[in-house]
Amino acid sequence: MEGKRRQGGIGLAVAVALIYVFLLLPIIIVVLAAFNAGEYLSFPPQGFSLRWFEKFFSSEPFVRSFIFSLRLAFITTCISTVIGTMASFYVVRYSRIGKDFLRVLHTAPMMLPGMLTGTALLIFFYTIGLGGTYAGLLLGHVLVTMPYVFLAVSAALYNFDRSLEEAARSLGARPFTTLGRITLPLIKGGIISGAMFSFITSFDQFPISLLLSGVGMTPLPIQVFDYLRFEFDPTAAAVGTVTIVMTAVIILVTEKFVGLESMYWGSK
Amino acid sequence: MTPQGQRGKVAPTFLLLVPSVLLISFLLVAPYGYMVPVSFCKPGQISGYEKAFTLANYAKALGDSYYLRIMMWTLVYSIGTTLGCLLLGYPVAYYLARTRTKWKGLLMIGILSPLLVGVVIRCYGWMVLLADNGLVNSLLGRLGIGPFKLMYNPFGVMLALVHINLPFMILTLTGSIQTIDPVLEEAAQSLGASPRRTFFSVTLPMSLPGVYSGTLLVFLQVVSAYAIPVLLGGFQVMMTPILVVQQVIDIFNWPFGSALAIVLFIVSGLIIWLYTRAMNRLMRGLA
Repeated sequence: MEGKRRQGGIGLAVAVALIYVFLLLPIIIVVLAAFNAGEYLSFPPQGFSLRWFEKFFSSEPFVRSFIFSLRLAFITTCISTVIGTMASFYVVRYSRIGKDFLRVLHTAPMMLPGMLTGTALLIFFYTIGLGGTYAGLLLGHVLVTMPYVFLAVSAALYNFDRSLEEAARSLGARPFTTLGRITLPLIKGGIISGAMFSFITSFDQFPISLLLSGVGMTPLPIQVFDYLRFEFDPTAAAVGTVTIVMTAVIILVTEKFVGLESMYWGSK
Repeated sequence: MTPQGQRGKVAPTFLLLVPSVLLISFLLVAPYGYMVPVSFCKPGQISGYEKAFTLANYAKALGDSYYLRIMMWTLVYSIGTTLGCLLLGYPVAYYLARTRTKWKGLLMIGILSPLLVGVVIRCYGWMVLLADNGLVNSLLGRLGIGPFKLMYNPFGVMLALVHINLPFMILTLTGSIQTIDPVLEEAAQSLGASPRRTFFSVTLPMSLPGVYSGTLLVFLQVVSAYAIPVLLGGFQVMMTPILVVQQVIDIFNWPFGSALAIVLFIVSGLIIWLYTRAMNRLMRGLA
């Protein structure tokens, strides 16, 4: 029986392998281009060089944008993690009516097209006096990252064994003690992976940043985008490689705490 | 059962919801709602709009053949990209849902990792590959073919759009196919159905809910894509979101920008509605 299904399996495996190449190729190419000496990545490559990294780190606008994005992503993540965690506690545990509505409402910022949300926010912010301000940009980032925390923490809460809390309480623990000693440590994984996705989403955020960043505030993706519109040299590849490495480190550290697969299929 | 009940007093748990609901109503509901009146205003001389009623923005968005043509092409690219993602995504999702290899974790990381690289950086990867003097053309040149025009045309834009959205499709489909019990496929085969017949009469119909959510997700992303068509289309391939951003940021004509965005929103909504109806009928017919 198993053998019969494996027969069609070879064609499938080849197709799948090719699609993986397609998925990963542009990312590998970015890394290769960053270490290539030439202006263009051609075949054969023109030798190993770190000149594009030097150009990145000696370019003031790029370095400034890099630090700006790191700070913005950090502040965004702090806020959206708290707000998203609180909301998921209510929706999973306490909401009696409108649970589905609340769930849709809290994931809507993620589902709605970023370009439209950004346009709507831009017009709205200028009207109420937040246009082109750091606060406006930050609020936009919190809005689109909060759903990731909400989903991750909700998944953790659904898998949570309530009897542990009841045990703690029946042994005389106060509600806040139970929360701090039992509940939070057990859903730590959900909170951490939500925060991680929030950080990465904010750091890589394009449409919201494009529409909401004001003068003197250029997040890294916007800086790279503006650069690529006029120039084409591998400085962009160096920036990309640094962010890829940074993201990989964040994910590996997160993996230490929680399996990432739980983000998608761990719930219920 | 409930912790509040045990203590005999009701904790004000709804307070947990206050920040997020404030955030969403203030930053999502209000701004989207506000776009509607703005789209009926006249463009302003100094500020983004002037408080005077007009239908001219909609007349222009729906009547001018330039904007209509771009809207039509936006929909064509979006539907094409969605189908491309479905065709490439299904085999991978099927494989991931059914495989028993110990490398599954690694294979999942392969799908997730592109999502964690910014869209602009991934576009740059494609630009390096597809440029006139890029990697693909330099490889083909060695073989004595080409050079071909691979970007700044719809081909390059759609290739990158498929690439960027493929992980969403794969993740959605994998989740859906995993819920189909393999025993059903085995039963069909043991009753004499060919693998092809098994696929078309068991697997595919049962995974239609996943197909539906995956295609919807991708369509919504593509119809509002901006960075990819700009970078790989080089303003040779226009899509409505590019026009919206031009109006709002460069020309400062918020009313017309809003009207274009709202028309795009409504047209996509109509397509999604029709699609949902058709899919529902299809799924009911098969159930």
